[in-house]
Amino acid sequence: MGLKEYLNDIVEAVVTTAKGMRITARYGLDPKEETTLQYPEERWELPERYRGFLHNDINTCISCNMCVKTCPMDCISLEAVRGADKKMVLASYDINIGRCMYCGLCVEVCPPKSLKHSLGYEMASVNREQLILRFVQEDASEVKARVARQVAEAAAKAESPAAGKPAPPAKGETKE
Amino acid sequence: MEALAISLIKAVPFLGAVPVWAVALVLMVAVAAVVLAFALTFEGVGSLVLRKVAGDIQVRIGPNRVGPNGVLQFLADGVKLILKEDLTPASADRPLFKMAPYFVFVGSFAGFVVVPFGVGLIAADLNIGVYYVMAVSSLVVIGILLAGWSSNNKWALLGGMRGAAQIISYEIPVGLALIPAVMIAGSLSLQDIVRSQGGLWGIFGWNLFHNPFTFFSFFLYFTAAQAETNQTPFDLPEAESELVSGYNVEYSGIRFGYFFLAEFGDMFVVAALTTALFLGGWNIPFFHAETLPWIWGNLLSLGVFLGKAFTIVLIMMWVRWTLPRIRVDQLMRLSWKYLIPLTFFNLLGVSLWLLVFNGKGIPAMIASLFG
Amino acid sequence: MTARPEALPTQEMTINMGPQHPSTHGVLRVILTTDGEVVTRAVPDVGYLHLGLEKIAERLNYSQFMPFTDRLDYLAGMNCNCAWAWAVEKLAKIEAPERAEYLRVIVSELNRISSHLISFGSFTADMGAFTPFLYGIREREKVNDLFEMLCGQRLTYNYARIGGVSGDAPPGFLEKTREFLDYFEPKIDEYNNLISYNKIFVQRLANVAVISAEEAVAYGLTGPNLRGSGVAFDLRKDEPYSVYPKFDFNVCVGSGERGQLGDCFDRYMVRINEMRESVKILRQAVDQIPEGPVMAKVPRVFKPPVGEVYFRAENPRGENGYYLVSDGSANPYRAKIRAGSFVTMNIFEKVTRGLLIADIVAVIGSFDIILPEIDR
Repeated sequence: MGLKEYLNDIVEAVVTTAKGMRITARYGLDPKEETTLQYPEERWELPERYRGFLHNDINTCISCNMCVKTCPMDCISLEAVRGADKKMVLASYDINIGRCMYCGLCVEVCPPKSLKHSLGYEMASVNREQLILRFVQEDASEVKARVARQVAEAAAKAESPAAGKPAPPAKGETKE
Repeated sequence: MEALAISLIKAVPFLGAVPVWAVALVLMVAVAAVVLAFALTFEGVGSLVLRKVAGDIQVRIGPNRVGPNGVLQFLADGVKLILKEDLTPASADRPLFKMAPYFVFVGSFAGFVVVPFGVGLIAADLNIGVYYVMAVSSLVVIGILLAGWSSNNKWALLGGMRGAAQIISYEIPVGLALIPAVMIAGSLSLQDIVRSQGGLWGIFGWNLFHNPFTFFSFFLYFTAAQAETNQTPFDLPEAESELVSGYNVEYSGIRFGYFFLAEFGDMFVVAALTTALFLGGWNIPFFHAETLPWIWGNLLSLGVFLGKAFTIVLIMMWVRWTLPRIRVDQLMRLSWKYLIPLTFFNLLGVSLWLLVFNGKGIPAMIASLFG
Repeated sequence: MTARPEALPTQEMTINMGPQHPSTHGVLRVILTTDGEVVTRAVPDVGYLHLGLEKIAERLNYSQFMPFTDRLDYLAGMNCNCAWAWAVEKLAKIEAPERAEYLRVIVSELNRISSHLISFGSFTADMGAFTPFLYGIREREKVNDLFEMLCGQRLTYNYARIGGVSGDAPPGFLEKTREFLDYFEPKIDEYNNLISYNKIFVQRLANVAVISAEEAVAYGLTGPNLRGSGVAFDLRKDEPYSVYPKFDFNVCVGSGERGQLGDCFDRYMVRINEMRESVKILRQAVDQIPEGPVMAKVPRVFKPPVGEVYFRAENPRGENGYYLVSDGSANPYRAKIRAGSFVTMNIFEKVTRGLLIADIVAVIGSFDIILPEIDR
């Protein structure tokens, strides 16, 4: 190694270090460059398409089971019974947030667009039970019993004026 | 300390019956306690400042949750370190493992003894001050080697070995880079060296501006001292991205705390030595601290000294958050092929300068030109 | 190594580097046999992050597997998404609308930038400089903001669909992309000044783990690792897919500017330069993007014809290939995933012989591996 290279090495080390230190000093001295968001106090604005927790509007849900079928993680479970007016009545609609990976495939296939991503992203729980979002407040067996009663009543009503007609199936049940 | 004890016995009548050595001992313990308090405070605050500087440079905020603006973070960290369980690995060499942190801490803390904080503020103005600092700071090697060996962990062992090789090789350039200052003052005592820089408005008397060789000596010393005290970019014994955490990987709780404190202690000792040897120490620009009343002179000079030292500490932190880590073979090459020849060259240059110009520096010569 | 006197018997030390080590980029385990600091042998032990992705693919239908491709290379989810979509489209002979293709290219290149930023950042952090990592993350957050605006997620995008993309660019997206490009381009020079040409950094990387062009080809390296050895092979140019032929860009290759050709520094610089090229592609794509639909007509129950296909795309970590076998049902009969990082690990043992422990970290960083790709 010649003397020229030797000195060159030293000069290069000093110059490149100085260059780097100038950049770090610039950021260090400029308070405007801070990019940290003080999270619980400050929050960033979520975009419209943000995929947060799933939310199902059970009033518009038609219990079509599309979301259950399309979910890659099987995190949605749905129970529905056929009601007196031939429409499906949701007995239970649970989403296991612990398994959900927020891919949004279920939202895309939902025909009535009742299933949506909300903007929520904060949830902490000490047990897995709390990670299951239940959208039907009533107990599933109660709903089933109530619907069965209504169906029976309707069938009884239908039978009394027109006795000859065959009764519709009392209970059509779809399960996941 | 003995002279102080004798004067104290003379001043306070009822101490007459107490032997001189007992008074001197009490005084020594008191001074040690004061210095220890300062060292611990600096180490705590230093860790906070380090993290704040890191935050600023890295476009973050840094600690800001404990106390207003995070200023109490270091207390929280300290409490955490004390409360945490002190684990000893089952296969560790227990006595050595327990001993190692003290070596490291003592090695760094003993350096505080000869730091000239002010006109009269020095724990012990040893006539071999520079030599003493060099000697005690080598004690750290033993601690690091012990920690690395006794942990019975391969990463720790590698860290310990690196530390030993590094600190021993960098003793030489550090020593050689210090000698110019010693030669100019003609004394190894740090107080004498600081006093020798007092002329010319307290700025141009600095050894830094004495002649071109001392100017380079300053940078060489700064670089070598960073390496000797394992600061980034020379933090190879720790090297968290290579050796996980190096020699202290198995330590937890307060034993880890000792290593941690020693690191900041070393930082301050290096900064203090740099200040004392090259930046005029406690000399206040434009007037002489010695001429002031004792208390004011000391307070002012202490402030000036700490200001200079903390600036150096800040620069060390700034370097730390800019540079990547050097490789172990390059570290050796830097020491043996670059720093040692350059410091030798500098030493030769300073010697010749002192011989040719009869000990006068450039600023002194310029000053003499203008009368 | 010099011969030692018989009186001092020494023995090699076996060190377990990982699976939990700060710089193995996840859970890679490297078994090091060292003589002091010198590594005589470094054997990578993969499999700590096995996801079973190929088996999952067999059990799910083609569109359901899309979110899993995000997990294949979590730093370049968009690239994997689009590659899967292109592969399935090739299998089923579907053409995505042009606007969708443009959007895919835009997100792929944005993701390439963000992935290279992480690569740059974690590499410098491995080398001991932590500040550039934070700067890289800062710029990556801006890319993530764009993605969040586009598809609603910051990491697991699930943006591409078979036959298109899940959503058109929302109003303001293209403008924001332009803004980002203007902001980002000068930053590359800043990185170079800050760290790339720093003497210590160059010294750490130059002449370390040199891979010759022949070796790189023989070991099947792809992507920046191959180009770092001076082989100008880029699937975007050499096997053009999507709308890449419409763009003007250069293939970055290593030049051996600070050492031998194919060392760690070349691989690093290829990534830095590729970010510039991505910016170039993005500028053209954002300017040229046509109007139109973003989704082709694809039946809801999607069953591709019987057949097999191999499609490969240029991902930030090399060739991402999908070999799909269809038996005519809704699920793939077999889905083989070829990932760049896994293939790169083959050469690891060869190039690391005789290096120092600190160099092992540099080699892992310069290969820019990602563990889910290695273990799949």
